[in-house]
Amino acid sequence: MTASIGPVKADPYPWPYDGTVPVSRTALICIDWQTDFCGKGGYVDSMGYDIELTRAGLPATARLLEHVRDLGMLVIHTREGHDPDLSDLPPNKRWRSARIGAEIGSDGPCGRILVKGEPGWEIVPEVAPVAGEVIVDKPGKGAFYATNLDLVLRTHGITHLILTGITTDVCVHTTMREANDRGYECLILSDCTGATDPSNHTAALHMVTMQGGVFGCVATSDDVITATEPSNHPAHHPQAA
Amino acid sequence: MPTVEANPGPFTFDTDSTVLLVIDMQRDFLLPGGFGESLGNDVSQLSRTIEPLSALMAAWRAAGLPIVHTREGHLPDLSDCPPAKLARGGIGEQGAFGRILVRGEYGHDIVDELAPLDGEIVVDKPGKGAFYATELSDILDKFGARRLIVTGVTTEVCVHTTVREANDRGYDCLVLADCVGSYFPEFQRVGLEMIAAQGAIFGWVADSPTVIAALQEQK
Repeated sequence: MTASIGPVKADPYPWPYDGTVPVSRTALICIDWQTDFCGKGGYVDSMGYDIELTRAGLPATARLLEHVRDLGMLVIHTREGHDPDLSDLPPNKRWRSARIGAEIGSDGPCGRILVKGEPGWEIVPEVAPVAGEVIVDKPGKGAFYATNLDLVLRTHGITHLILTGITTDVCVHTTMREANDRGYECLILSDCTGATDPSNHTAALHMVTMQGGVFGCVATSDDVITATEPSNHPAHHPQAA
Repeated sequence: MPTVEANPGPFTFDTDSTVLLVIDMQRDFLLPGGFGESLGNDVSQLSRTIEPLSALMAAWRAAGLPIVHTREGHLPDLSDCPPAKLARGGIGEQGAFGRILVRGEYGHDIVDELAPLDGEIVVDKPGKGAFYATELSDILDKFGARRLIVTGVTTEVCVHTTVREANDRGYDCLVLADCVGSYFPEFQRVGLEMIAAQGAIFGWVADSPTVIAALQEQK
C-alpha cells in the first residue's frame, strides 16, 4: 500500500476534490524561501519591509518538509532570480525595483540583488533543499512561465499541489493561479506562507476560498499532517530524465 | 506620448504599442439571472463598469487603437475543462442563458453594450488567465504591444490572473479602477492595492476619464 493524502480539513471543501490521492501524485511546492525575501540584508529587507512577516511560516514549513520527506512526497523548491548579465530581466521590472530603492542586479548586503549565484538568492537554511529535490529557477512571480515546472510535474505524474512560500499575495498566488488554470488541484497553507503586508496575506487566502474555491483550498500544515496515511514502504519517485 | 496620473506614479503609454484589453464582460457574469447571480453574487457590483468602459472603448476606437476582448468558456464537450474545475459545479449545466460557460451559448457572449466591432479580436480562454492556452501572446506581438490598458471582470480573479501573467511577460499594465469590478467590494479594494504595491509590483492603477482626456489631448 502506498502512502495517501486526504481528505484534508480545508476551506471551502475537504481537499482534494477527488477525496484521497496517492502521495506519489502530490507535490509540495516551496516558493522563494530565499534570503532576498526573508533574510536580513536581502531584497525585502532593503525595501524596508518587516522580514518577521515573511519569516513567520518558516517553522511550520520546516516541520511539514520533514513529514512529507518521510512519506516520499516529491518536493520542489523555486527561486526567483536573474542571470548575472540580467538578460532575462524585463526593463520595466528593473526600473520599478530601482525606483523603490533596491535595484535588481545592484550590490546589496547579500550580494547582487536577485541575481543567480549570489548569497541573497539562496534558499534559507531552515527549509533548504536536500539532495534529490527539484529546484526550479524562475524569472517572474509565477513558477510556470518561462520554466520547466509543468514538464517536471507531468514527468512525475503529479496532479495535486500543496503550496508553501512567500509572499502569499505575489509569488504564491501567481503560481497557484497558473497551476489552477493548468488543471492542478491546489491547496495553499495559511501557516506556511506570509506577506509583506498582513492584510494582503489574509485577503489573498480569502480570495482562494470564494466561489466554491476559485483557485483551490486553504488549510494548515497540521491539517495536512493529520490527513496523511503512511505506507509500509517509502514511496518511490522516478527521477526526471 | 500620453501620460496619466496613476498609482503608484505616472503611467506613460505610446499609442503605437498599447492595447486595450477587455476581460470577460460576458452575460453569464454580468446579467441578472446569469451564472454569477445564481451563485448568490451581487451583479450590480460588476454592471457599474459597463458605462465607463463603453465611453473608454468609444474614445479608444475614435483614436484608431486596438481592442482585444476575452471570454472565459469551454468547448461544448467540455474536453478543455480540467476535472478539478468541473467538479466545483455549474460549468456545462443548463442555466438561464444556455449551458453555463460553454462557447456558442447566449450567456457566454459579451453584453450588448460592449459588443466587439467587426474586426476586433476576441480571445476565448479556458482558464482565468488570458495567456495560458490561448493565442493572446501572438496577437499582442502582431500589434507590437508593450503596454496593456486592462479592464473587465472580476478584479481579483480573471483580471488579476491576466495582469500577473502579462507582468511576468514584461508588459506594463495599467488597470482602470472604474472599469474593473468584483462581486465583493473588499476584494475590489485590496485587489487594486496589490497591483500597485511595492512600487507597481504588477502594474499601475488609474481611472478611465484620465485615459480619455490623455487621448483627446493627443489629437
